[in-house]
Amino acid sequence: MESRDPTAHLFLLFAVAALWIGAFFGVIGAWQHVVPGVIDVVPFVKSRPLHVSLVIAWIFMAAVGGIYHYLPETVGVPLHSPALVRAHLAIFLVTGLLVVGAYFTGRFGGREYWEFPPVLAIPIVIGWLLFTWNFFRTALRRRTPWPAYLWMWATGIVFFLFAYLESNLWLLQQPDDNVVRDLTVQWKSYGALTGSWNMLVYGTAMVVMERITGDTAPARSKSAFLLYSLGLTNLLFGWAHHIYPVPSASWLRILAYVVSMTEWIVLARIIHQWRRSVEASLFHTRSFSYRFLFASEVWVVLNLTLALLISIPAVNLFTHGTHITVAHAMGSTIGINTTILFASIAYIIGDPVALGADARARSLGFWLLNGSLVVFWACLIGAGLVKGWLTVMTDLPFETIMNRARPFIAGFATSGIGILLGLTLLGMQVSRHLLLRVLGAGGREREEWT
Amino acid sequence: MFTASTPALQSLRNSDSGGHSERIRWRATRHRRAIVAVLVLLFVVQTVLTWTTSTAVPTERGGLSQQARRGRQWYQEFNCTACHQFYGLGGYMGPDLTNVTRAKGKGPEYTKAFILHGTARMPNLGVDKSQADDLVAYLDAMAASGTYPIRAANLTPYGTYKEMIPDGE
Repeated sequence: MESRDPTAHLFLLFAVAALWIGAFFGVIGAWQHVVPGVIDVVPFVKSRPLHVSLVIAWIFMAAVGGIYHYLPETVGVPLHSPALVRAHLAIFLVTGLLVVGAYFTGRFGGREYWEFPPVLAIPIVIGWLLFTWNFFRTALRRRTPWPAYLWMWATGIVFFLFAYLESNLWLLQQPDDNVVRDLTVQWKSYGALTGSWNMLVYGTAMVVMERITGDTAPARSKSAFLLYSLGLTNLLFGWAHHIYPVPSASWLRILAYVVSMTEWIVLARIIHQWRRSVEASLFHTRSFSYRFLFASEVWVVLNLTLALLISIPAVNLFTHGTHITVAHAMGSTIGINTTILFASIAYIIGDPVALGADARARSLGFWLLNGSLVVFWACLIGAGLVKGWLTVMTDLPFETIMNRARPFIAGFATSGIGILLGLTLLGMQVSRHLLLRVLGAGGREREEWT
Repeated sequence: MFTASTPALQSLRNSDSGGHSERIRWRATRHRRAIVAVLVLLFVVQTVLTWTTSTAVPTERGGLSQQARRGRQWYQEFNCTACHQFYGLGGYMGPDLTNVTRAKGKGPEYTKAFILHGTARMPNLGVDKSQADDLVAYLDAMAASGTYPIRAANLTPYGTYKEMIPDGE
């Protein structure tokens, strides 16, 4: 029962393209911080939304493409409707082109992260409804209890829909419109949106690990469900750590503080199992997917430590509204999400081993991406520390503060080029193989890789 | 896309068979469903409370007039959030605007001049005078809602600060 439908691979192919273009605009945006007015054709007001929306598109399309690929094997039946998968892809691509076109022509109207004209939210919701329908019609045919990753995917799919609709509720004018509630609800929905795509990505990491090791027990264990429940709790109740300084109801922010602190359990667990993870990574050294999964685990430790620290209100007082928040966002989207999604794509195209004709380019791309990201992340933290300290402890004007942080900002802009080069090398490798699979030459290609 | 005979699938099928262990697994699944249902129910409660009680400030502070609502729309149409923040939320190219209309040495006219003409760093976005008035009304509504950044905060031993909880709460 093997499906030759290439749509899942097309999702992945377009996802990689979105990532590369998004990273390209990210580099432009970063340099516009260093040299204001540079590359005036695409000013920052356009380069930032282009960067953000395309990178979010990468995460969603790569996760969704992976789920379409893994789901039939996981459930034991073919996808409910391959035609709906093709419709979903077509809707996403057309909407994506319209969003990019809107940004280039300076037509905005939406809110942060979704700055495109709000009417374009309609096809996004329609596409997601098709995905939701297809997922549940397939997954609910499984006769045995669901492993944790199916729970994660289902949760991510449902909560994305809810949170995305909630993030657009500002379109309905309320009689008692208030800016504090406006900001609170906006960030409530963003917290759930981030949590929902994390559920899709972490579920993907679990299924890739299961496929590589052949061990199905971890995804069905109590600890997997404990971690899932913890993640869900944070998705639902931890979002208000984004808005500690906003004068919203105190119970919301205190609840978020308490809930956020439960993630120390996750960090402690990873550190406790660290030796086992390292040993496993040495055992699977020939697996390129595993290499990415191990890198993502390193980034989880770094980023979770940072997240836990900045979720403490007294620390957040100095870090909120600074580049430390960006470091956390970049560490999550590149260090964790992107490495997991590359692990998934590498597995899907045949898990290239650390040998072969392209091995050097693959390794160079991997190390360039991760090495540059370390510098990038550290520079953002440095810039954030300078900005946060000077903002809270002095009355210096904004320009002066930013000038003091400029060396760090130049460092992050420079290392951004390294990230782009790493993504270019990796993107070229996986795109070629995805394209061959789409064109039907994937079987032969897979043998050559392994 | 679907391969019926991978080791992972074989192992999965083996692990999914067996009477007694199967019953235990289904029982565990029921417990898990119950946990998720309780969490979702609590989330629904939280959502309702967020929408109805999230404003710690009185409604007259932070409430939006018709002009301020138009200003909010212009703020989005010109994508001001790409560079500016409210309460530290937004892009970091430009300064935080939470209290710009009421800050010492600044004020509505100062703000309007920036909006209309731009600066060395901020491009002239082509905002007309009426739009600038709406934008200033929106910024002033934001300024009335609270203060950011919080300087000289009183830290507590619990990792919080006293200013997090407004007077009277």
